[in-house]
Amino acid sequence: MNGLCSDPVEEFNCNKAFSDLIMENKKTAAIFKHEKSRKEAEDKIRLPTLEAAYTSILRDLGEDTDRQGLLRTPLRAARAMQFLTKGYHETIDDILNNAIFDEDHDEMVIVKDIDMFSLCEHHLVPFFGKVHIGYIPNKKVVGLSKLARIVEIFSRRLQVQERLTKQIAVGISEALQPKGVAVVIEAAHMCMVMRGVQKMNSRTVTSTMLGIYLEDPKTREEFLTLSQTA
Amino acid sequence: MEYHHTTEMNGVVTKYLNMCIQCKQNDLCREQKDSKDSVDTNKLPRIENAYSTILSELGENVDRDGLRRTPLRAAKAMQFLTKGYKETTRDILNDAIFDENHEEMVIVKDIDLFSLCEHHLVPFFGKAHIAYLPNKKVVGLSKLARIVEIYSRRLQVQERLTKQIASAISEALEPTGVAVVIEAAHMCMVMRGVQKMNASTVTSVMLGKFQDDPKTRKEFLDLTLRK
Repeated sequence: MNGLCSDPVEEFNCNKAFSDLIMENKKTAAIFKHEKSRKEAEDKIRLPTLEAAYTSILRDLGEDTDRQGLLRTPLRAARAMQFLTKGYHETIDDILNNAIFDEDHDEMVIVKDIDMFSLCEHHLVPFFGKVHIGYIPNKKVVGLSKLARIVEIFSRRLQVQERLTKQIAVGISEALQPKGVAVVIEAAHMCMVMRGVQKMNSRTVTSTMLGIYLEDPKTREEFLTLSQTA
Repeated sequence: MEYHHTTEMNGVVTKYLNMCIQCKQNDLCREQKDSKDSVDTNKLPRIENAYSTILSELGENVDRDGLRRTPLRAAKAMQFLTKGYKETTRDILNDAIFDENHEEMVIVKDIDLFSLCEHHLVPFFGKAHIAYLPNKKVVGLSKLARIVEIYSRRLQVQERLTKQIASAISEALEPTGVAVVIEAAHMCMVMRGVQKMNASTVTSVMLGKFQDDPKTRKEFLDLTLRK
């Protein structure tokens, strides 16, 4: 603020605008915190039912739920499951946190090799891999970690890889209105590796191309080359 | 199941197909048998109910298309992943123990291993390396991998898993020494909790000569862990 607001009235307005901004950010943070603690409380209420369900599963699998290693397993498993599905409670608005900036940039931005962990909605077994995201800003860029956070929101749910890819792409598209968004996910599905066909090295690749990535093959090719090279 | 190219088979298609149908009827297709065996139909409905409860408590809509049969699939998957409880070493060894005048080290390494963490019910997986010094008795090599399967398809702790594999081989073959090393990544550490992507846990058990003689142990470790 030094030297920027020379006139006292102007200075007052200047400072007021600045403090308004602080207040607005604080309010958003407070609302976010409140929502978060409300959801945490809701999680806690549901814990006993989840625990009971896990205890019955353990017994029906033939295990002895009173042995030392399994004593607190229902609680831990229930909490783990709630963590692995926490994406249901989160929305893009929450995490974007106003981290969208006006920037005169309209070249491709790629964030690649984002580790992703999700749960297969058909077998409740994990699938995990890497996500590569590219977008061409339309004068609005987003904080880079926010792309990874968007991946987190949608992946911490019971998912199907195809839907996950699309949701990430559409989420970014709606938040930023860029010229184009491209999302590629390459993942290993434990439901195929640990059971069923049991193919250790198989990988599933899905992609969603929106906007200019869909229309222009050269743009798509540039994205694919840049994201696939080590 | 086998995949046939009709063009290659030409005239023998019918004969071949009949053979396959017979094979299925006589229960000779081991892979299908294995996966069907693991399903315990008595307990299945209860495990299904438990999973339905879990899904609704997590906030999901159990009636949506993708989740409608999920409790059943998840229950069957869980039974498959814990099928090791029903198997014993004696069953699978299948008398594949042979008298052979061989006393040098035998190593079977890079055996893919998948298990469930008994604390969080989340998978951990990696590779097992097994070595033994036969005492005039050798075992069919795939049997070592099958022993790994028995003990890993349970709710496990990596330390106990390693020890159980080593003890089982020791009791079955009475060799001069047994060594088992397991290197695994634990999803409970990677997907949740500390969330360390690249951490892996290594446990080992050395019995007999592998424990007593450092040179033998070194030979095993060099042969196994060298990339």
